[in-house]
Amino acid sequence: MRPDRVHDLRQRAGLLVGAVLSVTVAAQDGSQSSGTHWSLVPPVRPAVPQLAPHPIDAFVRARLAAEGLAPAPEADRATLLRRVTLDLTGLPPSAEDVAAFVADPDPSAYERAVDRLLASPHFGERMALPWLDASRYADTNGFSIDGGRHAWLWRDWVIGAFNDNMPYDRFLVEQLAGDLLPERSEATLIATGFQRNNMVTHEGGTIAAENLVNYGVDRVKTFGEAVLGLTLACAQCHDHKFDPITQRDYYSLFAFFNQGSEKALDGDGGNNPGPVLQARSVLRTGEEDALRARIAALEAEFAAPPPAAIAAWEAAERARLASRGQGLALHRARLLAISTPNSGDGFVIEDERFARIDRPSGFAAFDVSMQLPPTSAPITGLRVVMHPAPDAPDAGWGHGGGREGKRTFQLTTITVSAGSVPADQINLYRLLPLATITASSWDQDGHPRGALSTDYEDGWMPDPKASGPVHVTVTFDAPIAGDEARFLTAQLNFGRGGSLMARRMEFFAITGNDGDTDLPGEIVSILGKAPRDRSPAEAIALAQHFAAFAPAMSRARIALANARERLVARTEASATMVMDTAAKPRPTFVLHRGLYSDPREQVGPATPPALPPLPPGAPRDRLGLAQWVVMPQHPLTARVAVNRFWQLLFGVGIVATAADFGVQGERPSHPELLDWLAVEFVASGWDTKALLRTIVSSQTYRQSSATTAEALARDPDNRLLARGPRFRLPAELIRDGALAVSGLLVRQLGGPSVNPYTPGDPWREISHYASTHATAQSFRQDHGEKLYRRSLYTYWKRTLPPPNMAAFDAPNREVCAVSRPATNTPLQALVLLNDPQFVEAARAFAERILHRRGDDRERLGWAFRSATSRLPEPAELRVLQRALDRERAAFAGDPAAAARMLQTGESPRDESLPVVEHAAWAQVAAMLLNLSETVTRN
Amino acid sequence: MNAPRHTSNDAANELTRRAFLGRGAMLVPALASGCATAPAAPAAAEAAPAGGARLPHFAPRAKRVLCLFQAGGLSHVDLFDDKATLHRFAGQELPPSVKGTQRVTGMTSGQSRFVVAPPIAAGRRCGASGLWLSDLLPHLQTVADELCLIKSLYSEAINHDPAITFMNTGNQLPGYASMGAWVSHALGSENPNLPAFLTMVSQGSGKNPGQPIFSRLWGSGFLPSSHQGVGLRPGANPVLYLANPDGVDRDRRRAMLDDLAALNGMAARASGDPEAAARTAAYEMAFRMQESVPELLDTGEESPAVLASYGPDVHRPGSYAANCLLARRLLERGVRFVQLFHRGWDQHIAIARQLPNQCRDVDQPTAAVLRDLRARGMLEDTLVIFATEFGRTVYSQGELGAPGSGRDHHGRCFTVWLAGGGVRRGFEYGATDDFCYNIAADPVHLRDLHATILHCLGLDHARLTYRFRGLDTKLTGVEPAYVVRDVLG
Repeated sequence: MRPDRVHDLRQRAGLLVGAVLSVTVAAQDGSQSSGTHWSLVPPVRPAVPQLAPHPIDAFVRARLAAEGLAPAPEADRATLLRRVTLDLTGLPPSAEDVAAFVADPDPSAYERAVDRLLASPHFGERMALPWLDASRYADTNGFSIDGGRHAWLWRDWVIGAFNDNMPYDRFLVEQLAGDLLPERSEATLIATGFQRNNMVTHEGGTIAAENLVNYGVDRVKTFGEAVLGLTLACAQCHDHKFDPITQRDYYSLFAFFNQGSEKALDGDGGNNPGPVLQARSVLRTGEEDALRARIAALEAEFAAPPPAAIAAWEAAERARLASRGQGLALHRARLLAISTPNSGDGFVIEDERFARIDRPSGFAAFDVSMQLPPTSAPITGLRVVMHPAPDAPDAGWGHGGGREGKRTFQLTTITVSAGSVPADQINLYRLLPLATITASSWDQDGHPRGALSTDYEDGWMPDPKASGPVHVTVTFDAPIAGDEARFLTAQLNFGRGGSLMARRMEFFAITGNDGDTDLPGEIVSILGKAPRDRSPAEAIALAQHFAAFAPAMSRARIALANARERLVARTEASATMVMDTAAKPRPTFVLHRGLYSDPREQVGPATPPALPPLPPGAPRDRLGLAQWVVMPQHPLTARVAVNRFWQLLFGVGIVATAADFGVQGERPSHPELLDWLAVEFVASGWDTKALLRTIVSSQTYRQSSATTAEALARDPDNRLLARGPRFRLPAELIRDGALAVSGLLVRQLGGPSVNPYTPGDPWREISHYASTHATAQSFRQDHGEKLYRRSLYTYWKRTLPPPNMAAFDAPNREVCAVSRPATNTPLQALVLLNDPQFVEAARAFAERILHRRGDDRERLGWAFRSATSRLPEPAELRVLQRALDRERAAFAGDPAAAARMLQTGESPRDESLPVVEHAAWAQVAAMLLNLSETVTRN
Repeated sequence: MNAPRHTSNDAANELTRRAFLGRGAMLVPALASGCATAPAAPAAAEAAPAGGARLPHFAPRAKRVLCLFQAGGLSHVDLFDDKATLHRFAGQELPPSVKGTQRVTGMTSGQSRFVVAPPIAAGRRCGASGLWLSDLLPHLQTVADELCLIKSLYSEAINHDPAITFMNTGNQLPGYASMGAWVSHALGSENPNLPAFLTMVSQGSGKNPGQPIFSRLWGSGFLPSSHQGVGLRPGANPVLYLANPDGVDRDRRRAMLDDLAALNGMAARASGDPEAAARTAAYEMAFRMQESVPELLDTGEESPAVLASYGPDVHRPGSYAANCLLARRLLERGVRFVQLFHRGWDQHIAIARQLPNQCRDVDQPTAAVLRDLRARGMLEDTLVIFATEFGRTVYSQGELGAPGSGRDHHGRCFTVWLAGGGVRRGFEYGATDDFCYNIAADPVHLRDLHATILHCLGLDHARLTYRFRGLDTKLTGVEPAYVVRDVLG
């Protein structure tokens, strides 16, 4: 038979849903000959077998007894505390926590620990993580250009909801219908962002109707998999083959989500796709007063910088000024090509000498390819001369809005690459790092330093009072040898808009020192005077300049900028995406074969007939849907929820297919246990913390995970629970653990997402940078405290998620994900061994170790316990000691290598520690962070 | 409209939906089968790929794949599919009977005229096979007899994101596994020191930046993430995080890994954790990669003649030419699936200026890699795929002849070509109408292309399944797909 005929037959057969369902149930599970699928029957509290004091243990032991197995003994105290601390907060316990717990004779010590962890602000962070996966939360729009969006207020709402132990039914209702609640508030509106986490496009040729359908499809899919545990998506194109969901049912559900005012193409230039709400974060952190105090302290530091530091800086600046122009020679480049991505003409190379832009667009980047003349000295930089129009020099150098009657430009970014062959366009793999940038003059707010970063916000604009040509000069980090790279390509980004583009550019390689300065004229003249000759105003101006720009102040500057930004994020309104109902909602149709272009019968919002009806009086909108989904007798909602929490604690759910409770999903390993938990959960008022406390109190949870080859062969996936759960930690917990152990972790809750270390600018290699105003096109690393935040705050760019998280199976957050694989790959080894984040963590960990008193043995014991929560066995200690001795000897023979090794990372090193000793311990610390046990939840 | 008409390819295949896999697709501790496992590792717990059968399903004609993906939508009208009518009707309105009433993108749907734009350059019939190729591809013309053109490929998608996602993962929406991930999952790696699926990205000289591309194009979707394509890039870290920290040399690292293995071994003996041994194996492979990757990137051992054959850009790290040469070196070392993405083919505007540059980027290196593989006796069992997400319209976007004019997206028919293991040489399959606008004969859906690619690798697309969310997912999706048997050599 032809395959398409098979598909057709199945489609026809699918119309007889009930029949297919019964038949399939029979085929899948001999124990149930026919009837309704188990998960569609509301759970009833099962009788608890009298096998153990704790109901969970009773259910589990009943199954074990049937299989002829016995449970494992309780895990040792250290493992137990590590397990429950990781599970409930996502962070490892400190060595001190472990020591205290191990030594605590109180029988209620474990219960107290659980209470403490449930009350920790990190509890909400840990619980939020899987919900962010399920809700496909990210910081970018996802499709095509994948520009940035702002949705972190919703993420913070989730953390807060868990910390406040918001009942799970309320948690769902606010996210599904927070805008429709009678008691709606800013908080409940923020919650509806759950439904706005779908990907959105801004691609030019998009057909609106098609994409609006796609957005709705994604909402139904997410609702189905995350809330109902049903793979509804199958019914988009035809009746579900196995579950009792017809295509009509599908579009009736779809109709609930198809009422908003959203647009198909939206969200450009860093603005959120609408509808948008401006609101303050609802996550309470209580840090505002401390932040204000910190800002005041830092400002005081800035107001009175240490005179010795100013003096040192002055000396350096004076030396730099004195060496200006030493050996300077200009070598005109022969221009080969000019190009820009979005126009075909209006720009030209003239006489191989000038790059001319005759017809400006709003904003654009131009790539200019050039050949350098032979030089005897190394090439130290590149100068771009901007000429005024030859026929009307007074008109200015550019095409953009006049400054004092002159048309001008703003160079928002300059990047340069070099090579041995010409390149029409900038080679992103051979970018020359730029050390300094200067200009012949600049306008207020037009300092050239703005052109060093890849944003479009600021950049060089010449002083409009200047006359004749003006120029900008970049000096490379390292000079290029005369014969090494004869070809340069410069990308000049005029990204400000308003046609602020240059007219006529000439390029020169420079040898020797740049003759200009990045210091304002006023500062140059003050530096020219002896301190005693300066007026008080001049002294203040100099100190202010020092504070604002001197490298010595950079750490404090970053700290102040971060603190100010943090206070703004805490106290002022930010944008977030919310759900609404359009004035005239779109009608919904059954789409033949799922095609947006083939609408058939019109349908209204309705729940599937195979599930209970809407509660009496419930409106036929998302509020009604929300009320329906949290009905106590709903067969799926509570089961799906408790299963997901079980999965978090055991690595695998009682139903292993946590997103699919349908016929094709797996049957529960312990059906009565699942139902007992679900019924208890609802009866408790959907009390999440109580549910978690119940589970982690069980002996089943507290069992040792140690096992034998025979036991492993008998039950490789531990579905019978004859031993404790063991799995590799999720990506975020691995990084967070290393930060916590190293002492670098910044325990701030919530706020805008951050960009910690990522090698190079991988975004630019795949993005639309320099062709769009969308944000998140070029990676710019953050500094200071933002490097050490918990990983759930890392900026999530969907088309290129953080590589060190992706390596450890973090999903890309394009679509709903309710569980993660746990692979084991060489790329993971490379991350843990070589990612600057982890190398720096090892260095800081070593510093903590060295700050502890004690001999090697004591220090090794403490370090091992910090990483793994247990003390090393004697044999392990011998290996560690041998490693330490070897590293000491090796670095003693090569102290320079030790010093280089300690340079990774931006956090300050305690310079009082001897370099060789610190490096040797850093190697041992790295080894501890790489232990299989360290990244495993035992 | 011209409804695609299927030939009777592969009609014998039964679609099987049986669930062979005993477990769901998630939370299974899996050793990286994409990144070859070390012998010491315990049996991978990952669900056996596909149908429970041993793979490949039948004798393969190709052992490995080189996919040269031209991102942005390459113009079949200009490069592969010239017609006399295009010149005769140049500047005239595309006949409504040809254009039909189906959708076009939002970028040209508002145009009042749809004027036929002939190819921007001449072309010629080449080699013994007489395949027509544009003069913008002079080097490719010299290897025309290696090519198997499919001129009747089609896709429903008309915008980049859905179209390029469709072509690479078999679905227009995100969440699905890429071609390379499927092949890695099915066949694993032949080289214990390198991943099974490697990707490289280059920027086009025609249009830079080109349309954005996404990691989902080489992602693992619902497959274990160990099958995602590993990116190679020039520089100190050709694979992210490959280089040891400054100050740590290879001997130092070796000693540390030995201690690490000892410690992991002790702990595993106490806890019975098999993953510890697997982790040690992964660290060993990482260590070997630190040597094997820089070695393969070092092209110093290539003869001057070979280097020259790839053209001057081979000396520009990160260029398509340099990537083609690296691809050959990877294939030589047993990497299963190498995929290049060359950006910049989106010629909406300034096609007369942009397209020759784009062609210059790829022409000589593409011809060189075919010739190089042939010379090494590798083309026989390497399948080369030269693909794109859609073609371009025969009608002009913007005023015909204006410097800013170009062509819009066109998914109704476009050209890709195959070469090497398993496919006919100097052959063309399928035909478009007189205006390169509709398919006139032998339509090939991109699903069929996927089925054919898998077939060359000895894989039955209908049996290469992975259970996810209750469905036995396939690269070719739920709609029927057919191996294009006529192109098989």
